[in-house]
Amino acid sequence: MRATFTGLRAWLVQRASAVYMLLFIVFFLAHFAVDPPHSYSAWHAWMTSSGVRVITTIFFAALLAHAWVGLRDVILDYSHPMVFRVCLLVLLGFALMAVGAWIVHILWMSRG
Amino acid sequence: MHFSIFRYNPERDDKPYMQDFHIDLVLTDRMLLDVILRIRDSQDDSLTIRKSCHEGVCGSDAININGRNGLACVTRVRGLREPVVLRPLPSFPVIRDLVVDMTRFWKQYDSIKPYLVNDEPPPEKERLQSPAERDKLDGSYECIMCGCCTSQCPSSWWNPERFVGPAGLIQAYRFISDSRDRATGERLEDLNSDPFRLFRCRTIMNCTEVCPMGLSPSRAIERIRLRMLDVQGHGGGLALHHVPTIR
Repeated sequence: MRATFTGLRAWLVQRASAVYMLLFIVFFLAHFAVDPPHSYSAWHAWMTSSGVRVITTIFFAALLAHAWVGLRDVILDYSHPMVFRVCLLVLLGFALMAVGAWIVHILWMSRG
Repeated sequence: MHFSIFRYNPERDDKPYMQDFHIDLVLTDRMLLDVILRIRDSQDDSLTIRKSCHEGVCGSDAININGRNGLACVTRVRGLREPVVLRPLPSFPVIRDLVVDMTRFWKQYDSIKPYLVNDEPPPEKERLQSPAERDKLDGSYECIMCGCCTSQCPSSWWNPERFVGPAGLIQAYRFISDSRDRATGERLEDLNSDPFRLFRCRTIMNCTEVCPMGLSPSRAIERIRLRMLDVQGHGGGLALHHVPTIR
């Protein structure tokens, strides 16, 4: 099939996104252990502070990329008829993009 | 000792079946192949198995023993769980009884260009290689192409026509790490550009577990991935590991 998303690139994306997600999760848990917010508004203020909002967005971008590579691998392994495989990959792509759009909306456009 | 052996003769049988054999071991029965041949000679001479060297270097008698692939001629028969279930290598088409069709396996091997590619004019005596450069082949040149690894690999089960498989890939690594070869770039590009050739490998490591020579195709595949990223391995070849006893 394609030539741009080679095996190596996909493999790298999966590992790089995993590393970023691990670091983010450690940071997130450490923050809650050391300086937990005591009210919804405190939590909201922290989450919507520009730095945290940006790194959280990147976290979800990494998560979606990681999910794309992982599920694409499963689909490539198990579904052989080409038309069926293309349909599954397209559905997966749309589903992940929809989730991505929703995340951006939550993090950047809603008021609370 | 009680054996349950896979039987299938396409000329006579509609479908495969398991046949039971009982045989008393004698002093000279050290390896499983000894007993299989004695069963054939004394009880049922239609029992069919490939065998040649009888010493674990040709790879002909690779079969599935109590669920694990191995070479019958170097598998100790005493201590095997009974009934000893003998089947042909999983996922390969069966020609008859324990003999399988290895055509697809060899096709994958051919596809990685298992020969030195070097168009420079040959020197007077030989293409020289230092001992350190020769060490890099350790842990991959020893592969006897028995098929135990590829036949036990789930990624090979699901995509046998497109995934090269552990045996092909460890041989690809053997040529990628050969200092006399000049096609390294093409070899790496070939394994990378089609996401099925190498990257179906999920590091399940069945291959490493069953290799009767103690080789590690998983490690070779990891090294190929690193080479694709231009990370030269820390010199030296791949380590051999102790081969677990089949029970």
